[in-house]
Amino acid sequence: MLTISNLHARVEEKTILRGIDLTINAGEVHAIMGPNGSGKSTLASILAGRDDYEVTEGSVDFEGEDLLDMDPETRAAEGLFLAFQYPVEIPGVTNSYFLRAALNNIRKHRGEAELSMMEFMKHIRSKVAQMELSSDLLSRSVNEGFSGGEKKRNEIFQMAVLEPKLCVLDETDSGLDIDALKVVANGVNTLRSPERAVLVITHYQRLLDYITPDFVHVLMGGRIVKSGGRELALELEAKGYGFIEEELVAKA
Amino acid sequence: MPSLIQDHAVVARLLSAHTPPALAEVRERAYQAFAAVGMPTTKDEEFRYVSLRALDEGGFGPAYGANVDRQETEAAPLGGLDAINVTFVNGQHAPEVSGFDDLPDGVFVGTLADAFAANAERVMAHLGKVATLQGKLGSTNDERFVHLNTAYLGEGAFVYVPRGIALARPIHLRFLTKADHGPLAVFPRVLIVLEDGAVAKVVESYGHLKGVAFVAPVTEIVLGRDANLELTRAQLEGDDTMHVSNTAIHQASGSTITHNNLNLGGRVVRHDVNVWLDGEHTETWLNGASVGRRDMVIDNHTRIDHAKPNCHSFETYKSILDDESTGVFNGKIFVYEDAQKTDAKQTNQGLLLSAKATFNTKPQLEIFADDVKCTHGATVGQLREDALFYLRARGVPKAQAESLLVYAFAAEVFEKVTVTDAKDALEAILFERLGTQA
Repeated sequence: MLTISNLHARVEEKTILRGIDLTINAGEVHAIMGPNGSGKSTLASILAGRDDYEVTEGSVDFEGEDLLDMDPETRAAEGLFLAFQYPVEIPGVTNSYFLRAALNNIRKHRGEAELSMMEFMKHIRSKVAQMELSSDLLSRSVNEGFSGGEKKRNEIFQMAVLEPKLCVLDETDSGLDIDALKVVANGVNTLRSPERAVLVITHYQRLLDYITPDFVHVLMGGRIVKSGGRELALELEAKGYGFIEEELVAKA
Repeated sequence: MPSLIQDHAVVARLLSAHTPPALAEVRERAYQAFAAVGMPTTKDEEFRYVSLRALDEGGFGPAYGANVDRQETEAAPLGGLDAINVTFVNGQHAPEVSGFDDLPDGVFVGTLADAFAANAERVMAHLGKVATLQGKLGSTNDERFVHLNTAYLGEGAFVYVPRGIALARPIHLRFLTKADHGPLAVFPRVLIVLEDGAVAKVVESYGHLKGVAFVAPVTEIVLGRDANLELTRAQLEGDDTMHVSNTAIHQASGSTITHNNLNLGGRVVRHDVNVWLDGEHTETWLNGASVGRRDMVIDNHTRIDHAKPNCHSFETYKSILDDESTGVFNGKIFVYEDAQKTDAKQTNQGLLLSAKATFNTKPQLEIFADDVKCTHGATVGQLREDALFYLRARGVPKAQAESLLVYAFAAEVFEKVTVTDAKDALEAILFERLGTQA
């Protein structure tokens, strides 16, 4: 589904990604872990199409198309979803209006009929309940005055509504208490399917207790320095990122 | 002498035919007052950003009535409102496209001419007495366009709601221009009187059917004790219209005004709203939104005189400026020595959609009481990149995301319009002006 090859990127003069290679197939859940400043969020932003970063080398293929060549809205329409680390507050734009506009544009792109407000409300009803969001939140402005937990649950709720092929979660666990974390994880797990892939980007392995990854990758210094299975996350939790640095030094 | 007023004597004679004799002198005095100062230039502080040279050079003549039919007026913006409707074309009443029958007992909605005939005293008690700064603080205000309008005073709309009556149906006072014989000048006049405890909603709209026009209205509003008026002023004129207008509001104790001032058309637009708080525990909501495109200039001046204690005023003005347009906001608040416990809040925001658009904002607070709460804030900015990216990353195309954010910027003001079909129509016009569909 997604093939990242030798991806290099910088912001202004600072090189952040130094050659990322990663392949994600449909049905898989991948986790990228790494210390602060390793380039995790940069990778997420580049996948979603934020233009603060300059890709200097490498490519990203999404379902046979050049992802880097697409507008952010085209990426979304093609089935990529980024759950933001810091969801943006947008006063004056209501959640339901915005989400219907997003869904209908995606449906239009797929050649499906647009949903009326009534059909839309029917489509989202069970998802609102599942994410334990109060329904008045739909008529409120996007993320405005939401608590940290509400913002993250709203991200996963939007993901459930838009039904993407590839879900990228950028530190969705940060700032969540254990109850909210379970709700978020449950929401993601509900979306797991053989046609869909998930990329979880996180600093801590805590979220991975609830969203079990098939593959775990360690990102350090702008490169994936180690990949493994579920057990790698546990090892990182136990030993910290230091042990990987030691391994790298030993290898060199 | 500006060509604009060279035919004054002729027009004044015509107006004398259907107006009370006392008005002849009022017109003449106003004419002299205007002629003495003439058109302002950009050297006049109050008109720094508004070039009105075209008014001296543009060959504007007196307006004559034009033929219109219902189909034509209904197709124009705000044409289909479900309301008591008084429509004027080129300043003259157009009965064929108006409708104001079946009013509750004692309520008057109609033309000044009919109002003079029915009860001239009731009109003359207020006409011309609200739109004046005599006896008020400050010296920088400029009343010359009130004088100019008064020099031609005779036609216009009158609304009278007697004590305790709450009017269920909204009123639409509609002023259209159809300049099919060269540039014309019109001077609409509106007087709205709500007696104690009366409640009404009025939409005052300025629209355009054809040609080049100079429109210089004066609207006077008198609110009795505990009266409540929602007045939505929709300026929707054509690309070649010059619009210079004044609204003056007089509030007695306990009264509430919600003035929604929406400027969505015209070329050079200047509007002054002056509020005189002449009783305690009043509420004043001044909401403004304007959309500038091309080389439009939209200049809003507001002035609130807190002359009595315990009054609250809330002011929110927003300017959306694209292309090479210019936005101006000047917000004066005077708190008089006796006006303790005044609570005045002024917010002004400009949104620049183009590198060549400019916005000039100037709060002017003069406070002579010591126990008051007055705040003001002005910001100028562009569309937020983070919000734009968030919307796009969810699948909303760039153009739609931009107009959503621009709409969101102005939404706070449009939401104050509670005449639902007017609000919907105005929002649709806003989206159309922004170049996208909702």
